[in-house]
Amino acid sequence: MLEIKNLHARIVDDGTEIIRGLNLTVKAGEVAAIMGPNGSGKSTLSYILAGREDYEVTEGDILYNGQSVLEMDPAERATAGIFLAFQYPMEIPGVATMEFLKVAMNEQRKARGEEPLKIPEFLKRVKEAAASLNMDMAMLKRPLNVGFSGGEKKRAEILQMKLLEPRLCVLDETDSGLDIDALKIVSDGVNALRSPERAIVVITHYQRLLEHIVPDSVHVLYKGQVIKSGDKSLALDLEANGYAGVIGEAA
Amino acid sequence: MNMHSIPQRTQAETALIDAFGERLSLLPGDGAVTLKRDDAIEAIKHGLPTRRLESWHYTDLRRLLTSVPAFDSTAATKALPPIVEGSAILAVLNGVSGAKFPAIEGVTVQRLSEKLTDGSIAPGLDPYGSDDAIGALNTAFVADGYFVDIADGAQLEKPIELQNLQAGGQVHVRFPVRVGAGAKAAIVERQAGEGAALGSSVSQVVLGEGAEVTWLIVQEQPETATHLAQFKAHLGKNSKLTVFFMNAGGKLVRQEIVVRTTGEGADFKLRGINLLAGDTHTDVTMVLDHAVPHTTSTEVIRNVVTGKARGVFQGRINVHQYAQKTNAKMACNTLLLSDDGEFSTKPELEIFADDVICGHGATVTEIDHNHLFYLMARGIDEKSARGLLVKAFVAEVIEELDDEAIVEALETRLDDWFVAHG
Amino acid sequence: MPAVQDTIDRVRKIDVDQYKYGFQTEIAMDKAPKGLSEDIIRFISAKKDEPSWMLEWRLGAYRRWLTLEEPTWARVHYPKIDFQDLYYYAAPKSTPGPTSLSDVDPELLKVYEKLGIPLREQEILAGVQKTDASELEEPSDNVYKSGRVAVDAVFDSVSVVTTFKKELAQAGVIFCSISEAIREHPELVQKYLGSVVPTSDNFYATLNSAVFTDGSFVFVPKGVRCPMELSTYFRMNEKNTGQFERTLIIAEEGAYVSYLEGCTAPQRDENQLHAAVVELVALDDAEIKYSTVQNWYPGDAEGKGGIYNFVTKRGDCRGDRSKISWTQVETGSAITWKYPSCILRGDDSSGEFYSIAVSNGYQQVDSGTKMIHLGKNTSSRIISKGIAAGFSQNTYRGQVSAHRKATNARNFTNCDSLLIGDQCGAHTVPYMEAKNSTAQFEHEATTSKISEDQKFYVMQRGIPEEEAIALIVNGFVKDVIQQLPMEFAVEAQKLIGISLEGSVG
Repeated sequence: MLEIKNLHARIVDDGTEIIRGLNLTVKAGEVAAIMGPNGSGKSTLSYILAGREDYEVTEGDILYNGQSVLEMDPAERATAGIFLAFQYPMEIPGVATMEFLKVAMNEQRKARGEEPLKIPEFLKRVKEAAASLNMDMAMLKRPLNVGFSGGEKKRAEILQMKLLEPRLCVLDETDSGLDIDALKIVSDGVNALRSPERAIVVITHYQRLLEHIVPDSVHVLYKGQVIKSGDKSLALDLEANGYAGVIGEAA
Repeated sequence: MNMHSIPQRTQAETALIDAFGERLSLLPGDGAVTLKRDDAIEAIKHGLPTRRLESWHYTDLRRLLTSVPAFDSTAATKALPPIVEGSAILAVLNGVSGAKFPAIEGVTVQRLSEKLTDGSIAPGLDPYGSDDAIGALNTAFVADGYFVDIADGAQLEKPIELQNLQAGGQVHVRFPVRVGAGAKAAIVERQAGEGAALGSSVSQVVLGEGAEVTWLIVQEQPETATHLAQFKAHLGKNSKLTVFFMNAGGKLVRQEIVVRTTGEGADFKLRGINLLAGDTHTDVTMVLDHAVPHTTSTEVIRNVVTGKARGVFQGRINVHQYAQKTNAKMACNTLLLSDDGEFSTKPELEIFADDVICGHGATVTEIDHNHLFYLMARGIDEKSARGLLVKAFVAEVIEELDDEAIVEALETRLDDWFVAHG
Repeated sequence: MPAVQDTIDRVRKIDVDQYKYGFQTEIAMDKAPKGLSEDIIRFISAKKDEPSWMLEWRLGAYRRWLTLEEPTWARVHYPKIDFQDLYYYAAPKSTPGPTSLSDVDPELLKVYEKLGIPLREQEILAGVQKTDASELEEPSDNVYKSGRVAVDAVFDSVSVVTTFKKELAQAGVIFCSISEAIREHPELVQKYLGSVVPTSDNFYATLNSAVFTDGSFVFVPKGVRCPMELSTYFRMNEKNTGQFERTLIIAEEGAYVSYLEGCTAPQRDENQLHAAVVELVALDDAEIKYSTVQNWYPGDAEGKGGIYNFVTKRGDCRGDRSKISWTQVETGSAITWKYPSCILRGDDSSGEFYSIAVSNGYQQVDSGTKMIHLGKNTSSRIISKGIAAGFSQNTYRGQVSAHRKATNARNFTNCDSLLIGDQCGAHTVPYMEAKNSTAQFEHEATTSKISEDQKFYVMQRGIPEEEAIALIVNGFVKDVIQQLPMEFAVEAQKLIGISLEGSVG
């Protein structure tokens, strides 16, 4: 589903190269974990997948279902089914969460040539999704992410993910800032989305999240490259021995 | 300088124009300087600014300047001990600079009368706009001051204190200062005296690349003096300027602060306190031009108004079209402590670039009753509690300056003012 | 958010500089000769069958006007206006005085239909279609449950029809054209006209006092809550015609009224002058809510044509505990010069000003408010949202003052500006003047552009760029939109979207 080939990318503003020849393949139905120390390029990778203009791809390609996404803008990628759960979701003052969800869902439907959702159907879907994430409907009347706690923001991200039904989910440090109860709820939300047609990329610094969202593959990112791949035991190994060993091996 | 035609000259306008006729032959300067003086007096002949001129909206100089004293060259005064111990003092006494001054390493000092006489200062005498009445008045009459040149890379350990001490009559001085690339200096501008003078003082500072300057203006004129002052600065690439002013005196005071960032990465900070008492009028007007990309500024002004004092702060931030990534923030907070006092604020933003973050805030308040209650609940009587809170309100601004000797010196002046006016 | 969706749909349907209300109508007109003189004023006064005191009042104002100079302090630039090159009176021939809809020229009714303003009472009685949004939001207190709106339609110089008059009369509310009020209720007009904006007030207000031709009059007697929204739709049609309307609203003790005005004009190459005066008087415990959606023709993409909108609006909180609230959405006009103000004279009175000013193309907006605190315990609140795009200049200019006796005056001001593109300007010029030690003023202002982070986040959810911006802008102005009655809120959101069309590069 996702194939990243020899990807090189740099920051547009100052030309710093962050991704330096990254290769990664994630198949439909797979949950891939990307781990790595701070500054290894994890968040940058998630932004580049979603099409942020602050980064420029200088070499290589990103194929999504066999098609390059490099020429697509963020909205087009989202409509094609790529979803990014942000590490720091943005606050949008004055725009009620509910309105935002409706516009986003209907824009995507429109792009796919589907009719907009009728209000009752929309409300039904939102209520169900919110209930599964233990979210209060009153919260959804508030402006998007404004005044939400860290945990509420992360839940709102997973709620959006559920409602937009993407094919490729990228979760950027979704566990940061969550207490253990919230972590459980969010993980259950993600696990419920696991399906043979969907791929999930979990970016995380710690193994903790992977106890709840058990990955099929684990990839270690360092200095903008995948330096080691393995199964879930690799994550446990990193937890026990730190990154130093793996980095040493690669060097 | 006033676009509206004025049918009849005020007494003050006539006195100024007459004084110019009498003084011109006594003023230093060659043809080029005289030409600038002639232009300047022409501007004054068009009338002093009135409130119809936007930049003078709250200070109708034409109405407020009721009398103009005669020049008094016989009056005497002497230099004051510096605010910060160990400072090098450059004093102008009753409008005249000293023939001898301390040697400061890395600094070249010249009497301004000499630079007027040889004409080398002439290009710097132009007023900055058609509403620049202080610039015009000063250019017409300026007789002395100091020219200070701080060499590239010089790191001054002790402040230079520029003293302008009046003894009545009229005093018009100017302090052009060049700060070389990478130089670092603290300069104190002291405005004081004992007479009922009409004075103008213009400081012009140019900061070279990477220069760092802290400039303190301490104005403690008697309640009989009219003090019209201007501070102008150009900030070169990556330079840093902090201007701190304290107005604690004067009958009619206008302090203009005109700053322009001319190099990327420049940073300007303005911190000021107005301590206003008696039947006085004090106006601080700032015009800040962010003229190049990537420059930053913050301004914090605190005012305490007692008695029948009238205070004004006008602050305009102009962000030019190409000055992208400007970050500018301004705050003006006022404590109005008497029913006869008044304070007017006009914080303006003029923004022509889209990728900027600019903001301003202004408040006029009473003392916070919760704070007052808290202190009184700890056994402090109301008067002392109020005093503590008011002082804390202005002291906050002083404490932001990162030079301990300066903070201490300014807090002493603050205490003195509260003792005299508390 | 259906409004946003509508905005986008409508934006797609129109070309860059196509102004929806730009059509003109061929209607037989009755005009005064061009130019301004005492004779023209006598002509206007005679046309309107005015009593002699009214003529004298006009002539007094005209003589005063001759001594005044055009103000130059606002941040707007335009060629000098030739006041002798304008028509000061133009009226559809079928008037004067239609008494019911059946008397109105059918062509005129078509104009208002085309503008989307229903003048037929039965249509309005059917109720306003609820929008999708209302299902998601709590109903606002501002919305009259019946959804009925009484309309006074002003076409060029005269009022053509006022609906629901009978029903309003039953409640004791007088709602009619000001011309009719001068004839039918001279005691009220004489008592209040010019009592808030004196004939000597300023250049344009003085001109208006001399030549005003029509406008609306509202009188809500003691203790009456006006049973429906009142609204006036202004339409400028004739060429070279100045529109000088005069509106006077009086709410007696304990009365309440909510009034809306909307404005459109045909698309023309030359500039047209609109110099209105609005006076509001609120007595003890009275409340007046005044909302404006101003959509005069803004000129074309090159800045040619458009309305000069030089308006004086002022409310007098004359009584204790009275309240006046101004809400404005300004999207039209080539030049706007407008400062709806409140004089807080009564003790415990309060004033509000909520404003959205959108400028695009070569529009120039200089708008804001004055809150003059005179009574004790008075409070005011100012929320201003300026959005500048294209080559436009957008200025907020506001004054808050507390006089010596205004003990415990309170003000909160927030003005935020948003810049879209690097060829426009946003300016904030607040004046704060405190002469009372118990006054508490708080002012905050920011200027920024739409954050790239926000835009990226919204687009990541599949929302295209132009709509992402519309969404964020609508969020930015939400605090003000919420102050509008529901029918206007939806219209206002659409207008903002349309005004910003083409600004995203």
